[in-house]
Amino acid sequence: MTSSDLKRFVQYLLDKNYIIYAPVKKQGRVLIEQISDSRNFTLVKERPLYPFKKYLLPPKQALFNFSENNGSENNPDRSRDEKSAANMRVLFGITVFDLRAVALLSQVFEKDSYFQDIISRTIFIGQSPVPEETTFYEKYEENILEHFKFDIFIESRSDQKNFRIFTGSKHGQRMLNDFGYADFEHIEYAGPIPEEGLSKFHKKLVGKVKLSYGSKIWKDLGKRCLGCDKCTLVCPTCFCFKIYDENNPLTDSVRRTREWDSCFNSEFSEIAGGAKFLKTIQDRIYNWYDHKFVRIPREYNLPGCVGCGRCSEVCPAGINIKEVVGQILKKKTPNIINIASRTKKSTKKRRIKK
Amino acid sequence: MRNLYLTQTATIVDIKSQNSMVRVFVLKPENGKLFNYWPGQFINLSIKGFGEAPFAVCSAPSKTGEFQICAQKKGVLTGKLFALSMGDKVGFRGPYGNGFPLSKIAKRNLTLIAGGVGLAPLRPLIQLIRSRSFEFGKIQLFCGAREKQMLLFQNEYDAWQKHLQINLTLDIASENWKGNVGLITDLFDKIKLVKNPVLIMCGPAIMYPAVIKKLKQKKVTEKDIYVLLERRMHCGIGICQHCVLVNGKYVCKDGPVFNYAEIKNSPGAI
Repeated sequence: MTSSDLKRFVQYLLDKNYIIYAPVKKQGRVLIEQISDSRNFTLVKERPLYPFKKYLLPPKQALFNFSENNGSENNPDRSRDEKSAANMRVLFGITVFDLRAVALLSQVFEKDSYFQDIISRTIFIGQSPVPEETTFYEKYEENILEHFKFDIFIESRSDQKNFRIFTGSKHGQRMLNDFGYADFEHIEYAGPIPEEGLSKFHKKLVGKVKLSYGSKIWKDLGKRCLGCDKCTLVCPTCFCFKIYDENNPLTDSVRRTREWDSCFNSEFSEIAGGAKFLKTIQDRIYNWYDHKFVRIPREYNLPGCVGCGRCSEVCPAGINIKEVVGQILKKKTPNIINIASRTKKSTKKRRIKK
Repeated sequence: MRNLYLTQTATIVDIKSQNSMVRVFVLKPENGKLFNYWPGQFINLSIKGFGEAPFAVCSAPSKTGEFQICAQKKGVLTGKLFALSMGDKVGFRGPYGNGFPLSKIAKRNLTLIAGGVGLAPLRPLIQLIRSRSFEFGKIQLFCGAREKQMLLFQNEYDAWQKHLQINLTLDIASENWKGNVGLITDLFDKIKLVKNPVLIMCGPAIMYPAVIKKLKQKKVTEKDIYVLLERRMHCGIGICQHCVLVNGKYVCKDGPVFNYAEIKNSPGAI
């Protein structure tokens, strides 16, 4: 597909009333904005500062409205923007980083009706990223696509002028066929988790991060980190939330609301009476890494960090996730896990013999 | 798709005051709907305009469909709850959490350890013992509170005593108090533990390290210790991250009843 074909495809989608969100270059920054005209459209290949997360997990979302004086109400609020109600939304140019995050979020929010409702109305048109210096994740290869949920994927290569096009769903195939473009290859979705499971890199990190608890790495980071929560805002996999009631005194209405939260907020772990369980910034930054590199891999068999490098870019204290991970990996830790598992096995065997 | 955050309506059918700060609320789900739960599980209580908070169900499952929660007036939501009267309606969702591992602890000798309002989540277990739904060996309860009026369920002790040995201690003795004065850990020096017990404890976070240290001196098997943990919770289903135990567990989903051996290496859990 040529660049002008791509432009025509965007216009075709706009004419079909799809709402398109795509990366746009503005004053040296790459942001995601709604596209209303294909004439100025170019595929921005740099990773946007903010991920596509807010289109899948709204920063603030009504769970339901209360009516009357009932304690509860089985009346979920499904009132949407009139324009978008009838239409599908297209996340155009979503990079591999963010597709990887979508794969994780789809697992985490598998049973969440709000998330699934949004996903069912969303078309993913992905693109291969240019290599980023800030990342430590394995490089983009074609075979990772089978583990991402997407409709259409645009592969751009520096040695080739034209784009290579893949489809990942029937819907994507239909869209391209209807547009009149047939030169695409289909990739069958093979589930979110590769056959070999977690990569060696992430497997190693699970143990290393666990063993690093209480080490100088975290003491130092605890002093450097401001606890400002910027990293959690731009992270495509951060999904913590809080639930509270929003009161509207004018209409006397109450709305149960779900809103992004951040584990860096000091009241995040606070219980009635004031006790906190993530007491210090050191506790909180360790917890953040623990979630990304220990808990998520254990719970979902997927990495909790997609390696996009956004957190490093926005950190006012200059904390770089790649450097931190490097420090953790470099830290010599006695191979306790292996020794422990060995002794466990041997005692088991002995028991069986008895 | 089922909405995980919708609540059921329940009517407050009775309120039993324990002291100026603690009340038991008896809730009856609307429309005679059955609310099935396992002893030790919790609910998220919802009050319109005030949000939600988790509460242990403090009664064993009953045929009437009613269940009880015990609330201490401590925050905004409980402040509102205390302003409600019999006949008022609240919302709830759940049950959540794992509950007591009854099949694992059945037939064993039991030592229940409660600090302050921590007695409430253990009460379903005591009620099960009384109803003989599960067979246990010898049972004892160690219970501590700041002052006499802070001891919960005092009018039930006579009935409990037929089934278990009750040992009480107060931080501050009132004039007519004849029992022990001092921390709950002192009780372990004065009263002998039942033989080879399963220990289940619930109390303020500060109580756990002290009690566990004491139990270790008594050569109790770590695997026989169970702790009930309290954490901030929002979703109740292991997603929102508020109730995390670093290194792996979620109190809402994997707890609130934990075997000590499985969380002892999780920093900050105890």
